[in-house]
Amino acid sequence: MEDLKLELKRQIIDVLNLEDLQPSDIDDAAPLFGEGLGLDSIDALELIMIMDKQYGIKFQNKEESKAALASIDTMAAYIQEYRTK
Amino acid sequence: MVYLHTGYMITPLGEGVAANLKAVQDGETRLCMHTDVHGERLVEPVMASLLDEERYKIDGFSLFESLCIHAINGAKASATVNLQDERCVFILSSTKGDIWVSMAESAKKISSWFGNPNQPIVVSTACTSGVSAQLTAWRLLEDGLYSSAVVVGCDVQSEFIVSGFQSFHALSNAMCAPFDKGRDGLNAGEAAACMILSSRPSAAGWTLLGGSIHNDANHISGPSRTAEGSLRCLNDALERVPVSDLAVISVHGTGTIYNDEMESLALHRAGVDNVPVTALKGNYGHTMGAAGLLETLLTLYALEQGIVLPTKGYHQQGTTWPVAVSNQVRHTTQAAFIKLLSGFGGVNAAVAWTKQKTWQSVAEITIEAPADLTSLYRQTVGNYPKFFKMDLMSKLGFMGVECLLGKVREQEPSFTLDTEQAALIVASRSASLKNDTDYQCTIRDKENYFPSPSLFVYTLPNIVAGEIAIRHHLMGETACYVLPEEQALEPVIHSFVSTTKAHQLLVAWVECETAEKYNAHIRLLIKK
Repeated sequence: MEDLKLELKRQIIDVLNLEDLQPSDIDDAAPLFGEGLGLDSIDALELIMIMDKQYGIKFQNKEESKAALASIDTMAAYIQEYRTK
Repeated sequence: MVYLHTGYMITPLGEGVAANLKAVQDGETRLCMHTDVHGERLVEPVMASLLDEERYKIDGFSLFESLCIHAINGAKASATVNLQDERCVFILSSTKGDIWVSMAESAKKISSWFGNPNQPIVVSTACTSGVSAQLTAWRLLEDGLYSSAVVVGCDVQSEFIVSGFQSFHALSNAMCAPFDKGRDGLNAGEAAACMILSSRPSAAGWTLLGGSIHNDANHISGPSRTAEGSLRCLNDALERVPVSDLAVISVHGTGTIYNDEMESLALHRAGVDNVPVTALKGNYGHTMGAAGLLETLLTLYALEQGIVLPTKGYHQQGTTWPVAVSNQVRHTTQAAFIKLLSGFGGVNAAVAWTKQKTWQSVAEITIEAPADLTSLYRQTVGNYPKFFKMDLMSKLGFMGVECLLGKVREQEPSFTLDTEQAALIVASRSASLKNDTDYQCTIRDKENYFPSPSLFVYTLPNIVAGEIAIRHHLMGETACYVLPEEQALEPVIHSFVSTTKAHQLLVAWVECETAEKYNAHIRLLIKK
């Protein structure tokens, strides 16, 4: 689980160009959007793409993706349960 | 928009703008007592400024017609307007023309001389004719009926006219003294003046903003005691040009007791008592049908040199309301004015003119490959992580504007962009070609098909403008052009002057051919 979280953080930093951040700067429980990392709606679309590309997860609707992408903790939990690759 | 292309005048002080401007600045006049006018013996001599008939008379034409032709020829010499064009109209301003000949016939002879195919229009509204004629031209051009106008004004003095003015006790036997305590009447004058107007912009950028005509509805020869018509004309003109832009109001200033008193009240009632005033009849006398054109042109060309012309004959306040008039040359940095006239028939007319503002470069910078934009960002900004998400074009434009504003603030620490009005133009040749290729890579492989929203958004060439606008909270116009070369931006920038409220303009040429081949040229322009 911890490995998965670290892997997620690295991918997020890389794909979203969070240039000045280290994985250790990202709090597992902190919200990714809004006040947390300050990600925006285009970043959300990129995260949805990561979930699909890396873990084979396709969200059914917006509510589902919003809940899953709330924090590193929720992303990791969702991946563990629903990953297809 | 209606632009002045050229102006020319023939007066006893000389031919053309330069000679007349110099003469007026030097306080010259040819006013003197005459016992006859063009061969006609006067019963009472007259103080007048007259032209030399021998010099200007063309065979087969009256002196009046000849003078109009000479004035038009002078203006035509430096004009790029084709007077034979079917979209060019001739407008003649005169109070009496040749008296015994229909002015319409004279006008036709004059326009035919120049091969103009249209019916000429004669505007004859007494002493306001020269301003009324400008307004007629302005309307015809604004309406699109014609695209250029030759507006010529002239009157020739005669026993007929002089005796009539004498019967009105309107003439002074001394040189007239506009607004002066000792003024006691006007002097007769002769001139011919021509302006060529076009709806095509001219290099000098003088624009006729329009104006209005109002009647006093009071008296057929006397000025209104309450200045009703002139006041309304001034108020209308002030709607077209802000008082803060006004360099001068060129008034009628005939030197009669009643006219000048009326004008001082009109200026006072309109709240423009403090705007410099100029009256040119101390140099030329009252040139009647030519006055509106002659005085407009001289006021305008003097402003082109940063000068408000002196009012010859003025020494001491002679009106109830003080008028900001001076017998000395004054200097100005403003380039807008109002021309005001009044005349028999209770008529008053005013036009507003302004020199079109232009964009002046305040600062510029260039950034070229292999400049390291990320290090530049870390050195100069550092706290805007969105920078890292941008594509190369946005990074380049973003950092270009940052560096430019840094440079501006070195000179002027308090400088800020007007978030409501500042405009931003971005342009490039390659536009988003590099990004298009990057995005295409994410969808090329159908087995590994993951279209990237963040790459896709940057495939629009104007996103760099959005990034800059977000950074600086710019809510004015953001435009984006794709052009073969940066030089092609110039007409776009020029056309932006009069058609936008923006007074600050950021121009960003942001060219990214490849990841290794890019350059930016960013300018800050201010409207002045």
